[in-house]
Amino acid sequence: MSKNVVLKMDNVSKGFAKIETDEVTNALNQVSATMKSGEFISLVGPSGCGKSTILRLIAGLIQPTTGTITIDDKPVGEPGPDRGLMFQKATLFPWLTVWDNVAFSLRMQGKLKGNEDKVENMINVIGLKDFRDDYPGQLSGGMAQRVALVRCLINEPDILLLDEPLGALDAFTRMNMQDEILKIWQRRQQLAIMVTHDVDEAIYMGTRVLVMDAHPGRVISDITIDLPMPRDRSSREFVAYRNDILNKLHFGGTSKAEEA
Amino acid sequence: MQAQQNETGNLQELTRRQLLELEREKKTKLQLWLDLIIWLLPFAAGIVAVLEYTQIPDNSMNRNPQVYLVFLILLIVAYGVYSVVSLIALRAGNRDIIDKQRYRAPLFSALFLLLAFYDYMTLKTGILTQPFVPCLNFVINAAWSDRAMIIDCTLHTLVLLFEGYFIGVVLGLITGVTCGYSKRCRYWVDPVIKFLGPIPTSTWIPIMMVVASSLYGGAVFIIALGSWFAVTVASMTGISNVDPEYFEAAKTLGASDRQLIFRVAIPHAMPSIFQGCTQAMSSSCTAIMIAEMLGVKSGLGWYMNWSKSWASYDKMFAALFVICFIFTIVTKTLEAVKRHVLRWQVGVEK
Repeated sequence: MSKNVVLKMDNVSKGFAKIETDEVTNALNQVSATMKSGEFISLVGPSGCGKSTILRLIAGLIQPTTGTITIDDKPVGEPGPDRGLMFQKATLFPWLTVWDNVAFSLRMQGKLKGNEDKVENMINVIGLKDFRDDYPGQLSGGMAQRVALVRCLINEPDILLLDEPLGALDAFTRMNMQDEILKIWQRRQQLAIMVTHDVDEAIYMGTRVLVMDAHPGRVISDITIDLPMPRDRSSREFVAYRNDILNKLHFGGTSKAEEA
Repeated sequence: MQAQQNETGNLQELTRRQLLELEREKKTKLQLWLDLIIWLLPFAAGIVAVLEYTQIPDNSMNRNPQVYLVFLILLIVAYGVYSVVSLIALRAGNRDIIDKQRYRAPLFSALFLLLAFYDYMTLKTGILTQPFVPCLNFVINAAWSDRAMIIDCTLHTLVLLFEGYFIGVVLGLITGVTCGYSKRCRYWVDPVIKFLGPIPTSTWIPIMMVVASSLYGGAVFIIALGSWFAVTVASMTGISNVDPEYFEAAKTLGASDRQLIFRVAIPHAMPSIFQGCTQAMSSSCTAIMIAEMLGVKSGLGWYMNWSKSWASYDKMFAALFVICFIFTIVTKTLEAVKRHVLRWQVGVEK
């Protein structure tokens, strides 16, 4: 089990200055939310709704224009290993072997000595034992994404930030990885926040789904998914959640007909 | 024989080599004979060279004629040893070595024929006038009789080359990395590079001869300057082109600013840095020869010039071959280091 944390976003807005004109892109507008350990939060919405911006703000890679983000009442600071971030691209360091990539974070913090078996263990968990000395250039997309996952998990982060981690994978690898991520999350019950544009994935994995909309980026709905895991993608309740969310995103069968 | 075990079609236990063996296009009998002939061709060409040297009467006076003969025979023996090694490897199941030898055989044959042709043009007919274009026997004789001096000069050249090169590369790395990383530093260094960049290194040599207190120090400076320039530009570009995603990933994994430079930026820029180092080496080789011919009183460049002024053209040519030889070795070594450091690039980008 990981440490219990409470993440609060209080009236957070983030604007980006456009390069050529004197305008501002309103990436996030007055977003407030509270998230706790043990939750798996899916952020779903069209592109430009600021879902990735939320993750980058929590990670500390960018600062909010106005508003505050706190973890246990302390404002988030510089990026650090307590908030693991996984990108859509694996961003493995191509000059390091799989083993060294997984060990990277421990090495940076000077904690590698004595923890080598932890690295070994992580590589075994994702089933890449035979690839430990290979370079990322030789891995497939799914393997690389697994390595990226354990690379940030090795720090046992209190908050796991997943930025469309499975977006670039094929359908089968994707479903496998969904279960793998869920298994890891269930074991440690950390706060996981995942960005996705796949509504099914959001419902399948999340305990809560924040539905977002663009121009300006904002949360339009906060839905708790009250279904036991593992979930059945074709069950009546699942489909009901999906219809509800698609409606909110204006993709529902009825509302689309009305618009037309 | 291992290939036959797999004719059932079950490929599970297949090694890479066995797979290649299985999928290799079957050669016809004619092709196999042709391979054998080409493989043996260098022996024939070697014998042609020996016969050319021994049977055709000399056009001009020849000293110690046996030296070139021994040289030719050594070359043939070397190819023979190579063949034996290939055959042993083949019996042990490794085809790669003999395939490579077969691939190179036409070049080795051409080398022997070229030697014979050169000897014919110089010693046998004098179409290339003696002693201005000396025959190889003279060159080898000169190299052997003057070996102490040539070795001494070679060492001087190497010391000067590496002293200048390493100073230049190290300083270039320092400026390149700092400038790639810090905008403020680039602001001040960029104009210097823009101003000094277009000046070819050799332009500095006359100035050095006037300004520098010792010509040796001047030569080190010139070689270092050329290397510094190449490495600075290459590492600066390399560092400033690092994908920001790598920095973000490293930051969330707990890397400090220092570690971002040494653990992310520099390794990422390595391919570019090596490109700079290779370029620096070729500019250093040019610079050192010019420096030795114009001012420095030692080294192979000086030796060539000095032999010329004594009309010992055979020594001049001997030095030329030595220069070619050591520069090849230096470049190959650098290439090998590069291949080792950048082994992660295999299969990533071409």
